[in-house]
This record gives sequence, structure tokens and C-alpha cells, in this order.
Amino acid sequence: MQVTRRQFCKICAAGLGGSSLGLMGYSPGEVLAQTNSFKLTRATETRSTCPYCSVSCGLLIYSMGDRAKNARSEIIHIEGDPDNPVNRGTLCPKGAGLLDMIQSPNRLNYPEVREPGSNGWKRISWDEAFTRIAKHMKADRDENFVTENSAGLKVNRWPTVGVLASSSSINEVGYISHKVLRSLGVVTIDTQARI
Amino acid sequence: MATTIIQPGEIEPLAGKAPWLRLPERKTIFARREKRCQALAKDHPLKNYLLFMAGVARAQQESLNGYDKTALPDANRLHICRQQGIPPLAVQNWRRDPSWHEVLRIMIEKVRDTAEPATADSLDRLLAGGGPAFEAMADGLLTGNYAGMDLAAAPLVGAALQVYWVHMATSLGRESFAGSAAPTFCPVCSSPPLASIVHSGGIENGQRYLHCSLCAAEWHMVRVKCSNCQSTKEIAYHGIEGDSGAIKAETCDECQTYLKIMSMERDPDIDPTVDDLATLPLDLLMDQAGFFRCSFSFFLIPAEEVAA
Repeated sequence: MQVTRRQFCKICAAGLGGSSLGLMGYSPGEVLAQTNSFKLTRATETRSTCPYCSVSCGLLIYSMGDRAKNARSEIIHIEGDPDNPVNRGTLCPKGAGLLDMIQSPNRLNYPEVREPGSNGWKRISWDEAFTRIAKHMKADRDENFVTENSAGLKVNRWPTVGVLASSSSINEVGYISHKVLRSLGVVTIDTQARI
Repeated sequence: MATTIIQPGEIEPLAGKAPWLRLPERKTIFARREKRCQALAKDHPLKNYLLFMAGVARAQQESLNGYDKTALPDANRLHICRQQGIPPLAVQNWRRDPSWHEVLRIMIEKVRDTAEPATADSLDRLLAGGGPAFEAMADGLLTGNYAGMDLAAAPLVGAALQVYWVHMATSLGRESFAGSAAPTFCPVCSSPPLASIVHSGGIENGQRYLHCSLCAAEWHMVRVKCSNCQSTKEIAYHGIEGDSGAIKAETCDECQTYLKIMSMERDPDIDPTVDDLATLPLDLLMDQAGFFRCSFSFFLIPAEEVAA
């Protein structure tokens, strides 16, 4: 059996006198005094994937904040993931500006609708948004669904709606998207990852 | 931490692969450490210790420069180690050549006058014990069993062992080593790491290496991963508010340990051994935060260890 975990040790204020440092005759007093004036910060690095294009570059997202204290953590920096074999730490200029996209004041954070005839956007709930989209889709499908072609062959097509899937989707998401859309009869399915 | 935007013509060298193992520069390893000790000693609460360590590093470099030929693993042993993923110079089973005793004697002679009286007394006692005392202490240090050891003399023994192991590792060269079956220990000598180093520039830009506490070899490990239990969940970076941010403690909530991670981009002069000592307050704060240290340094041996 391989031992893969290492020995732990404790370097603490009370133990410094008995450590090699103390026994050698060096007083830890000043270090202890200095330590009392210091404050600890906490940051995380999280792996993610760039949302922009089909290259799907690996990202390291740096956030500040102490989750233990229930504080909202803030993203402070984004860079290419050096361990990712696709981009090896690099990013294109668009990807390098991701932090500004995330923190943009113009970023859409909730569903909005611009009603026919109105001159502005109105915030709506997710429930309203889903219901509205579903109703529109149903109405469009009922109106334009093609069951047979000119030769009388059964085709069951819904040719008036197209879908563009995200390049960040994993295989399983791709499978489910395909199943759901094809079962509705959608013909035009494309993905950003093809671009 | 700046993002690399590559320019035309720069993509070709980046297409290579960063080395999985970096051996120390034999000609400069300890000289660099001496310079770093002197640079950090200015206005540091541990000034006297860092200056003493500068003298130790100078003696280490001199010993390494003049190190005679010593026994090395033969081709057959290297081959078997490569096949089985065993570090060829593993501290647990490599039979030490007594040549390092002389290194230790000369080093003690050189630094004894600059040592504190308590250290000098311990060193005298150690010298009186001779070879058997050296070997007994080396066994304890290399296997992490330092109960009852004279900790005031142990750092010097560690320093001599470093010279011996750096000498062997650099004499064999990088091609002699292969990946170890235990990626959390050094693939050259199977010692625990002292710290993580994130390199800057060239093909190693942004890559994390674990820096060996004994032979100073550095082996690659992906970032945002616990170097102890290899978990990739709940990894965080703790630093001291308002400092340069070059040195942080990488913590793992799974095994409750931390290892310092040092960014060469933020400070290109970092020497893991010296910077580890100079950031002692970070260790004390991490202890208060409830994390154990899972690295080892010959130059800061705690009074008690906690079993893994």
C-alpha cells in the first residue's frame, strides 16, 4: 500500500519556544507581536469554461470572501487555466475581458419583456417568462406544424422555430436538448460549438 | 496573475509541454538562498535567525561546489525504480554514504561562531557524538520521527543532508527519474514538499510545482488541488491582508491542512526555504484558523507533530 498522505504538524504560538527556532536561542516574541496585528484574508480559485466560443478555454476564476460567514463572495480576477490542455493559460482579448462582462451594470440578471406598442422593457418573473414563451411556441407550432409533405408522406415537422445550443453544454445536455427538440418536430437545431 | 495574451510568433514555443520535474541549479541553489536570507533579514522580526541561515546557505553552497564523487544508484536500480514508480533516492531505503558526515563537520565549523550560545552548545554535543550521532539524527529527521531529538542541532544536520541529496540528484540528472506512484511526495527522494511554487514566464508560466524539502527538486501538480489528499473540493487561499499577495496558504477542508503557495510572478526572488521562514506569522494565523501544516522544513521543526 502506498502512503499518500503526509505527516501533519502544528506550528502554534504556544509551541514556538519548544520548536527548533526557540531551542536554538532565537526569541519568537517579535514574531508573535507582529502576528497579532495581521488579519487573514480568504480567496478561492474556481475552474470554469469560457462562455464565448466553441474553443471552450479553461478559466481560473478568483473570488474573495469568507463563505463561512455567509458573506457574498466577489469575483476579483479571471485568467486562463494553465493546466487546461486547450488554452494552456492563455485567453483571447475577448475572454481576457470576461470580468467586465460579469460585473457589467448592463448585464441581464432577470427576464424582461418589451410588449408590442410599448417603448420600454418591463421586468417579469421567471414563471411569467416561461409561460409566455411556452404559449408563443405552442401557438406557433399549432399554426405551422406540417404533418405530411406534398407527396403525402408523414413528416411531422415544425419548420418555423430554430434553436441555437450553447458551446459550453456537456454531452448530456446536448443529448437532452436534441431529444426534446426533435420530439417537438423542430428541424433547425444548431450549436455555437460548430462555429 | 495577469492574463497572458500571446503575440504573433509566440504560439510555437507555448505549444511544447512544461517539464514534469525540475532539478535545482547546482551552481546557484544555495547562493541564491543566502542572498534571499540577507534581503529578507532587513527589518524582519526574525532578523538574527535569517542572518544565521544566510551563513548556513553559504556553507552549503561551498560544500556542494567541492563535493567529491559519491555512490549513486546504478543503471539497474534506476530501471527498476522507473518501472515501479519508486523514487531512486528514497530517504527510507537509500543507504547513505558517510561522505555527508564531513560536509556536516565543515559546515558546523563555519557557522558555529555566528550561532547563538544554545545552538553552539548543541552543535558541540553533536560533534562529540560523531558519525553514529549524525546517522541517528538523520534517520529521525528523514522519517519524520523527531521525538527526543536535540532540535537545536537538527537544522544543521538537515542542511548537510540537503547538500548530499542535491549533489546526488544533480549528478544523476533529470533523465534518471520517472513519475512516482505517490504524487504527493518527491519523485527523487520521496520527501514531503516544503511549499508550492507557481512559476512565471516561458513554458512554465502559471504552472504549479511542489518544492521538495530535502533535495529541492520540483515536481508538477495541477493547481487548485490539495497536495496532501489530492481533493479538488473546497480549496481556498488564505493570505495576510495588505501584503504583496505573493505567498498564501492553500487550504483543504477535506483534510484540514495547508501548504504555502508562492507566486514567482508576484516576487521572482522567492526562495521557498527562506520565504517559508519569513512568513512564520502566516503559519501562526493558520493554526488559529484550525488548519494543520502538511509540509516539512528542516529549519522550523515544531515541538510536536500530529499523526496523519
